[in-house]
Order: sequence, then C-alpha cells, then structure tokens
Amino acid sequence: MRPVDLKGISGKRIMELSLANKSMERAAKRLAELGIPDRKSEEYRYFDIEPLMEKEWEPAVKRRPQMIERAHRLVITDGMISSMPEGLEVGCSDTLDLDVSHFDPMYYFGHLFGGDILQIRVKRDMKLEIKHIFTQPGKLLTYRVAIYVDANVKLGIYESFEAEEAKNALIVSGIDLFAARDSRVALYKDQTLFESDYTPLFSYRFKIDGNAEVKFASFDMGSGNGLQTLHAQLHENSSILSDHLLYAVENARRGTVSKFVHIGRSSQSRQRAKSILADRARGIFDALIKVEHSGKYTKAHQNSKAVLLDSGAYMASKPQLEIYIDDLEASHGSTTGQLDEKELFYLRSRGIAYEEAKKMLILAFANEIIDSIDDENIKERIHSSFEYSYYGKNIIECIQTCHGCEKTVTMSQND
Amino acid sequence: MSAIMKIENLHATIGGKEILKGLNLDLEEGKVHAIMGPNGAGKSTLSKAIVGHYDVKITDGDIIYKGESIVDMEPEERALEGIFLSFQNPVEIPGVNNAYFLRTAVNAKRVHEGKEELNAAQFLRLMKELVNELGMKTEMINRSLNEGFSGGEKKRNEILQMMMLQPELIILDEIDSGLDIDALRAVSEGINKMKDGKRSFLVITHYSRILDYIQPDYIHVLKDGAIVKTAGAELVAELEEKGYAALEEA
Repeated sequence: MRPVDLKGISGKRIMELSLANKSMERAAKRLAELGIPDRKSEEYRYFDIEPLMEKEWEPAVKRRPQMIERAHRLVITDGMISSMPEGLEVGCSDTLDLDVSHFDPMYYFGHLFGGDILQIRVKRDMKLEIKHIFTQPGKLLTYRVAIYVDANVKLGIYESFEAEEAKNALIVSGIDLFAARDSRVALYKDQTLFESDYTPLFSYRFKIDGNAEVKFASFDMGSGNGLQTLHAQLHENSSILSDHLLYAVENARRGTVSKFVHIGRSSQSRQRAKSILADRARGIFDALIKVEHSGKYTKAHQNSKAVLLDSGAYMASKPQLEIYIDDLEASHGSTTGQLDEKELFYLRSRGIAYEEAKKMLILAFANEIIDSIDDENIKERIHSSFEYSYYGKNIIECIQTCHGCEKTVTMSQND
Repeated sequence: MSAIMKIENLHATIGGKEILKGLNLDLEEGKVHAIMGPNGAGKSTLSKAIVGHYDVKITDGDIIYKGESIVDMEPEERALEGIFLSFQNPVEIPGVNNAYFLRTAVNAKRVHEGKEELNAAQFLRLMKELVNELGMKTEMINRSLNEGFSGGEKKRNEILQMMMLQPELIILDEIDSGLDIDALRAVSEGINKMKDGKRSFLVITHYSRILDYIQPDYIHVLKDGAIVKTAGAELVAELEEKGYAALEEA
C-alpha cells in the first residue's frame, strides 16, 4: 500500500478518487477548496497540526473479520465492524448525503480516503454502545460512520475508545448523524488519551431536522493530543445541547472547534464547555454559532469556563456569535481562571486539607456537566472515566457521595 | 477560669488598610463572649484573623490558642484544633455534595484526633438526627453545598456543621442576620445545646436580638479596631438605650 503524504496529496489524486460517485466528487471538490490543514488553517490554529501533516503515513490495514460476532455493543476494530448487537441494521456504502458546508477539510479527507462508510439505520427506540478499537501503531486509519435516526425515534449512544496497540497512529474519523423529524438523539463520547497514544482528528456532522433534538456531550481526558470538529445544521424547532468536559494534563493539546448553524425558525442551541487544565496542557474551545436570515426566534447560548491548575496551562477559548436577524435570544461568555479562593477557604476552614479541598472543587466543576447526563448507567461510567483520569493510572478511589453512589470503588488500569 | 484564647496587641490589615489596631482580648473557657460594635469597627476582620482568612494580614501582635500561637497555622490546622467560624455569608459551592463535604470534614477531624473514621451509614445516622433537630429538610443533605439555600437554610447548615464537628471555640459572625423568628429560635437552640461549660463562644453581632436567645457572660465593645469596653451582660441594655456613641462621650 502506498504511503500517504498528507501535505503532498495532489489535486490529481483527489480527482481520481472523485470519479467514484457524486458524493466523492463533492468531497473532492471541497477538500480541494479548503486544502489539507496547516498551521495557518483557521480551525487548526490552536492545535499543533503541522507535525502530523508533514509525516508520511502508512495507511492502516482494514481487515474484514471472518465473521461478525454477536455482542451487546457495536465494536469497530480498525474501521471494520468486529461485533454488533442482534437486530441492528448496519450496511456499507460509498455514497452519502455529504455535508458540503462542513468547515473541516479532514471531514472531506475522511470521506475520500476512508473507503466505504459504515451506515447504521435506527428505526426504533434504542440504546447503542459503540466501541472503537485501534490496533495498528504508527499508521493512518481513516473511516467514517453514518447514523440515520428515523422520525419519532429515541436513540442514546455511548461512544468509547480503546487503543490496544496504536502508539503514534493518526485516526481520521467521525460520525455523520442524521436526526429525522421529531427524533431524540443523545450521543456521549468518552475518550481518554495518553501521551504518545494515537491522535484522533474527529469530525462530527449533525443534520437535525424539524422538531428533532440532539444532545452531544464529549468527555475528553488525559495527556494525549486530539481535536474534534462539530458542524450542526438546525432546522425549524430543532435543538442541540452540546456539552464538552475537558481534563487535559502534561503536554496535551485537546479541544473542540465547532460551528452550529441555525437555518430554521425557533431552533435552539446551547453549548457549554468546561475545561480543567494542568501542567503545560492546552485546551481549545473555538466555537461559532451562526444564525441565518431564516433563523427567526432562535435561542442560542454558549459558554466556556476553564480552570488552570498550573502556570504552564493555557486555554484558547473563543466563543463567537454571527447573527443576521434581530428576533432572537443569544448570549456567549468565557472565563478562565484559578479555583475560587473563597470556596477553597470555606472547605479548609472546616478542616479539609488544601489538596483535598482542591480535588473536591475540581470534581465539583466537572460534575456540573457529568451530572446532567440523563442515563444513570452512562453517568456512572463517565464518572468512573473522569475519576480514573483524575486520580491516576493505577488505583482510584471513588470519593463516595461525589455523585451520590455512597460506595468506594477500586479500579485497576485494566478494568 | 483559664483563657482558651488570648489575643495580644493584634494589628491586622485588609488590602493594606489597617483595621485592627492593637486589639487585646481574653476568651475564657466555657464562657460566651459577645463582641458588639458599630459598622466598620473590625468585628468581621477579627473573626477572619482568628481563622486565618487569606484577606487578613497580621502585622503585629499574636493570637494564642490553648497556649500556642496560631498566627502561622493554616486554616485547616486551626479548624482541626477546634476553632470553628460560622460565616456571615456562607459561600455556595455547586457540585460539592453537602453530605460528602461534611463527611470529609468530620473524618478529617476524627483522624486528627486519632479516632476511626465514620463509615457512610454511621455518618448518615448522626447527620439525619441533627438535621431533624435543626428542623432542616432532609433533602438538603444531598444538595450541593449551600447552593440555592435561603439565608435561613444557610445559617442552619452552618449550625449543622458546628454540631457535627464539635469544636472547642465557636465564632458566630452575625448568625442572626437574615433569620426569621422560627429560624432564629432553631439556630439558638442548636447553639445552646453545644454549651457544656468547657466550650467557648465568640458571638459577633450588631444587635442585641440574638443575645436574648444566647445568654452572654461578657460583652466587649469593639470600636475602631480595638476593644474599648468590657462588661457583663448588663451592658447590652445600656448600649440599646444609649448607642455606641455614648461610650465615647463617657
């Protein structure tokens, strides 16, 4: 297999791929317009993209399993389905109703170079767990998943990631989510990265039809680098609630770049980012909400709060509104600072040691987002992920009533 | 009677401005001391200085507690040694569960005293008893610390913490502010139950109302950063009648 030189991908190669079908042609056209990202690219300006793009990548091998096992969750190993729940409607296709206004060139790269798109059709209310497993170190893995949610259907997705052996790999992936009229979709992404793990460049696209509701919540933790880009299109009376909890340590560069576009009347978006940054970590929240002329009576609110635990930590926070109408309700805000001195003092004045008081406040800061998860099982898993990241690699102790569980949980790294 | 705390020639600043200007005060073991004084006299600064608040810088003098200076001690060390301040405006901390916070505090103190930590069941049993005694809603146990609590609920929560932590020196900073009659009675009953002849109280107040419920042994008048008069409980009536200005004229 030929190595992929991301920076050196020629227009000719892109045009070759575009001959496959109309959607590939559109993807090729958009990628040619936007170009492979570099340090000057708007959406990657806070992320250290240059070293990734300069490297010559060997593509990961996509191994089709001899048989797909039945399991309680959908497992995608190196871009191929290795197990799935019974009754789940899954197919593969090289065509898709492509989002031609996505701002991220890697979205189009994923579609062009990812091969067939894994397509999931959801016709009835369900909960779905998707686990992505990566096993090829140093390789470039590209694949995409499309999820079609039928009208009036309620879907809850828990997305998790496991790197069995994927050091220094680059994963270009993401989900195209189509929420049909009156559907309700909740997607929880739980991703902890360690330094020299794989680097995910994930692009999400949310097409939200009339009266549909999408809740997206990302829980990004650890010392590795990664970026997620989100593009949402909101039609009449639809809504998106988007929460992002980031806990980054050491030299991590991690965050969210997003653009939510209100197209239909009376649509709503609410975006909330909470970032906790330690050591020399850099957090990114670069988010635009755009309200088109057609988006009358929109409600759009976005807010970013970051806590810097060390002097070397840095938060690039840029919430933005771009509004073309008068009849709407909108707000945005951003704060970056240290832990609240009054709160710390109050806890210490009751005999709680400084370090313990700090931990309590950090967990409290994170819990505001974690506790807004409706599904108790997912909430508990995210709590565990966060506490696992927060307390270290080997042993963690769940701090009893931090989330009301009233118990002590001990987890090893392999649990 | 021996003094549990001796404050000697205390000078303290907030934001570079001197607030306490050579304050001297002895707090006797097992007694209730009330500090009264006009606005801006330095009453709250005194309470902050005792508990080691970050706003207050002690520039001279000393605070001796149980025979040892505490001015260089961290706030948590002072608390573990038995000093408790009931805040005038308790801070709200979203996301910190009230029960979890209090259990951490109680167990930190127990460990400091060489006792075994309370397990969840033991702790909840004790806490629920006291919650009922104080007429608090049990749901408050599992809410975030002080978040969305009314003024009265916050003060009751302070008293709950005091009763759970069993401190030896209790400082009540404007405990009666924002309380209706029923809340004031419940809070006062909680405080009076803590009187055991050994525990000492420092009640900081503008008004005499709270002193109808918590009988003081001594009244100290604080003016312009120093104690200007000390007398028995009879001084309350005099201050009510003549005001603080009369002290100066006398």
